[in-house]
Amino acid sequence: MMSDDLVEPVDTALRDQGDGLADQAARAVLAYRAGDRGQLAALVQVMTPLLWHTVRAQGADPEQAEDIVQNVWLTLVRDIEQIRDPRATLQWMLVTAKRAAWRSVRRSRDEHVRQAADENATEWLTAPVEDLPDSVAVRSERDQALWNHVRALPDRCRKLLGLVALVERPDYTVVSQALGMPVGSIGPTRGRCLGKLRAALDADPTWSLS
Amino acid sequence: MSNDDATVALLAAGVLDELDREVFESLARMVEDTDPVPAGLVDRIGMALTIEALHADVAELRLDGELALAVRTDETSIEAGTITFTTDVLTVMISVHAEAGRVRVDGWAAPAEAIDVELHQGAEVVSTISDDDGRFSFVDIERGPARLVLRRLSEPTVPVVTPQIEL
Repeated sequence: MMSDDLVEPVDTALRDQGDGLADQAARAVLAYRAGDRGQLAALVQVMTPLLWHTVRAQGADPEQAEDIVQNVWLTLVRDIEQIRDPRATLQWMLVTAKRAAWRSVRRSRDEHVRQAADENATEWLTAPVEDLPDSVAVRSERDQALWNHVRALPDRCRKLLGLVALVERPDYTVVSQALGMPVGSIGPTRGRCLGKLRAALDADPTWSLS
Repeated sequence: MSNDDATVALLAAGVLDELDREVFESLARMVEDTDPVPAGLVDRIGMALTIEALHADVAELRLDGELALAVRTDETSIEAGTITFTTDVLTVMISVHAEAGRVRVDGWAAPAEAIDVELHQGAEVVSTISDDDGRFSFVDIERGPARLVLRRLSEPTVPVVTPQIEL
């Protein structure tokens, strides 16, 4: 039997969840089971970018990443009746995507032992400003400063902030946990990664004076 | 603890503010611009899920006749002119005609019976029912990748799905 002090945090977690992706995913799973596929189709639209960047942050190349993301969705639909806690759907999908990316990256490294491939694999959010494609919206000095400071962060922090930036506050915990970061890495306080970034930005006149 | 460490610790313990929100907005924009989700990926996933939901193994559809069709090397689609698909239970022939920048799709399925035919393009689905001779057509269709899902009224739970074709 569940004691009260176990029930309370769950209620709080539910309340805090608000209307994030985790919540939307839970509703889509329940609707799908009830025969309404529309909500899942809508979820594919809003959640695929997060899955894509999660997989890319692990070093998967674009072709691998497309397959992995599509497979995560197919696996969800195939196992949808077996999901015990629909609220854990987002977490499950992010972890599944991340692990599939690891496996895929390890395989391709084994296949071609190429230094270049290994370097590319950790390039997520690390390109120097001058190497970014023209289309990139590093429009102002302020953006440029931000980009440079993000690049200078440790790998784990860069991934955390780059992915958390793609979601709303209710999903911060799920995204950081899926990346293997502890609860409280970000939200309600900034946590160390964002703290480091803010310290660097505050000390940079290009940023703080504009 | 150095001054820098103390500053970071202080900032880390602070509650997220407007400036953090601005940082995340810029960062999200940069992430999406440097490594955009490939065009069409969302549509391809939608289509894969639709087919999965039909419980139709994309039936071993053989492609007959090589007239007027070219397999595009860069994609998994087949450019349609006139194409015949065959399964154990159904043969489907379709021909595609350009009409004012859009296309018309005429089809015929055998053995002849009334068949529910859906044309899937990304998330868009249009459907029609064939006549008793198995003839059907779709007019004013957008160009691009598409797939047909056919359900025989005599056996509605066993749909037949064509490979993706390029209209």
